Amino acid sequence: MAKTSIQRRLLVTIVVAQLLLTVGLVDVAVFVTRNHLRDAFDVALQGRAMSIVALVRYGESDPHKLLFESGLVPPPLDPHAPDLYEVFANDHTLIARSPNWPEKQGVMPPREDRWIASYVINGIPYRALRREHIPVLDHEEKGGPPDYLTVTYAAPVSPVITAVRQVLTYIAIGSIFLLAISGGFLIWALRRSLRPLSELANSAASISPSNWNLYPPEEARDTLELEPLTHAMTSMLAGLHRAFTQQREFLANAAHELKTPVAILKSTLQSLMQRPRSADEYRAGLEEALDDMARLEKLLHSMLRLARAEQWAAGSLSRDLAHVDVAVTCEAAIERVHAVADQRGIAIDFTPNGSMRLFADPDDLELVWSNLLENAIRFSPDRATVRIKMRSDNGRGYVEVADDGPGIPAAELPHIFERFHRGDASRTRNTGGYGLGLAISKALVEAYGGTIEPKSRQGEGTRMVVTLPA
Amino acid sequence: MRVLIVEDERRLAENIARSLRETAGYAVDIAHDGEDGLYMAQTNPYDLLLLDLMLPKIDGLALLKRLRGDGGEVPVMVLTARDEKGSIVALLNAGADDYLAKPFDLGELLARAKALIRRGKGQSDAVLKVGDIEIDTSALAVRRKGELIVLTAMEYRVLEYLAHRPGAVVSKTELLEHLYDFNWERFSNVIEVYISGLRRKLEDSTGSKVIHTLRGQGYMLRA
Repeated sequence: MAKTSIQRRLLVTIVVAQLLLTVGLVDVAVFVTRNHLRDAFDVALQGRAMSIVALVRYGESDPHKLLFESGLVPPPLDPHAPDLYEVFANDHTLIARSPNWPEKQGVMPPREDRWIASYVINGIPYRALRREHIPVLDHEEKGGPPDYLTVTYAAPVSPVITAVRQVLTYIAIGSIFLLAISGGFLIWALRRSLRPLSELANSAASISPSNWNLYPPEEARDTLELEPLTHAMTSMLAGLHRAFTQQREFLANAAHELKTPVAILKSTLQSLMQRPRSADEYRAGLEEALDDMARLEKLLHSMLRLARAEQWAAGSLSRDLAHVDVAVTCEAAIERVHAVADQRGIAIDFTPNGSMRLFADPDDLELVWSNLLENAIRFSPDRATVRIKMRSDNGRGYVEVADDGPGIPAAELPHIFERFHRGDASRTRNTGGYGLGLAISKALVEAYGGTIEPKSRQGEGTRMVVTLPA
Repeated sequence: MRVLIVEDERRLAENIARSLRETAGYAVDIAHDGEDGLYMAQTNPYDLLLLDLMLPKIDGLALLKRLRGDGGEVPVMVLTARDEKGSIVALLNAGADDYLAKPFDLGELLARAKALIRRGKGQSDAVLKVGDIEIDTSALAVRRKGELIVLTAMEYRVLEYLAHRPGAVVSKTELLEHLYDFNWERFSNVIEVYISGLRRKLEDSTGSKVIHTLRGQGYMLRA
């Protein structure tokens, strides 16, 4: 598709408008000039007709006979288009007629009411005038009643046409000249007023992953029409920068945290290959490698889950939600951690008070509860009881997971929701977690507009309280 | 040689320990947190310390600073998941002798460990020479006058330890402490067996004495 140019379009529009205007003005000017010149021509025509009439007089020998002094007729200005005339007396006797009078054609149009008209004779445009009832000039000398004459006079209109043409030429040349000047000025003005746009584009082109700041040039900032564009670009860039930074941080974190599990897997395989071994040894080594692999997989899964929860909380991810019975998700979570608890003789006690429904994804809720339960089991002594309670109150739902473990030291409390935070070795021994469970839980709970709060003192067990808007 | 690994990832510590035991014949102890690690490093004469940075209780950098502050001179190699310039500079300034970024290569770790131990004892060549005896620490091979001498694993370890400090008197306790991990007391009467085995294999062929016994003090390797 051909590109449209604002500049070209504006230029064409304005020049065409100017051209139409000029043509209109020229029309008017020519019309006025022509009328004016024709009026003057008509007056002159009348004068010439009168001067022909003045050449008619009474004969000296026969005072009743009318004579025409043709010798006094002025020579024609243009021999190819001479003036034409015809003079009749009252009794229709022809008194005078110009030598080249077109007898067949006649001169005056048939309509009697018009005393002046345009006419084409021998292919030359003429204007003709007829005056009737003009008394012979020297009738007083004769005495008695005057004789009356009818005169028809025609002259070529070429002087008028020439003059009009000249006027037209002058106006046209002037107009074209003015059009050219105004077009040039228009191009200059358009370029000048579009310049802030290209400067803005230049500064936008310098945006890169290492430079997120848009510095609109002063001219662009001072241009009213560019304000929405600059504004939109700035806020779009801010959004992009945020998303980009988030992604990059996640990637850096992920790369960093993957180093240890990868180091484990690598060292397992390398130590297996350090010397020839028996089939049983290889088998045991490969099983270890598979274990390492499973941990790596679990970490990857957790990290992606966390990233999704955070993206969703930030509103950059949409998902399908349904009305969920919270008690059902609690039971599912208990089912999930049951085996681990059983191994250590730990009982899980579930107390649902009333029912609670939430607009949520059941998998998310189940994951939050099972993370909290896993932690509680992890920190509980063998054969202890982990309690999970649910109640709703004033439009808010509360789920609480409590254990009788050693509690969390006050100094550690602010850090427990940090990614990859792991508690003291004495408490996490043999648990194999990567410290993402609580970070995921917090991100998910906050995505639903809730809060998660630890209540713990060293030596007195831990309660994790989740509050959700029902 | 006796090495301490301070690393909270059990599997990683086990794998490194197994590799050091199997391929270099080192005695290896493992600590899983900074507190245990510091205590063990201060109470046992290690020839090398492999130190993770992200440790529970006392982190690796603090452990290193305290160890050096108390005058501990054991060579330290740091194992780190961080590899930014700044943290490496801080590590080396705190007294680390070398570092390896995770995930590392076990072969590289072994080679660097051996080099650190040698340098910690004033040697720089991987082949130790005492008179006409050559001990190739990378191939674990011993030659006298170019002739290969076949030793048992424990005989090799005793000889290598003595060869790292030629001309110095090494007590039986020191040998035990450096050749066994923390159960070394159970093995207290076996050193004589290895010494006599070494003497038989090294000295019989030429007649000249290389391992000297200083009664009540210990042993000395000298050409």
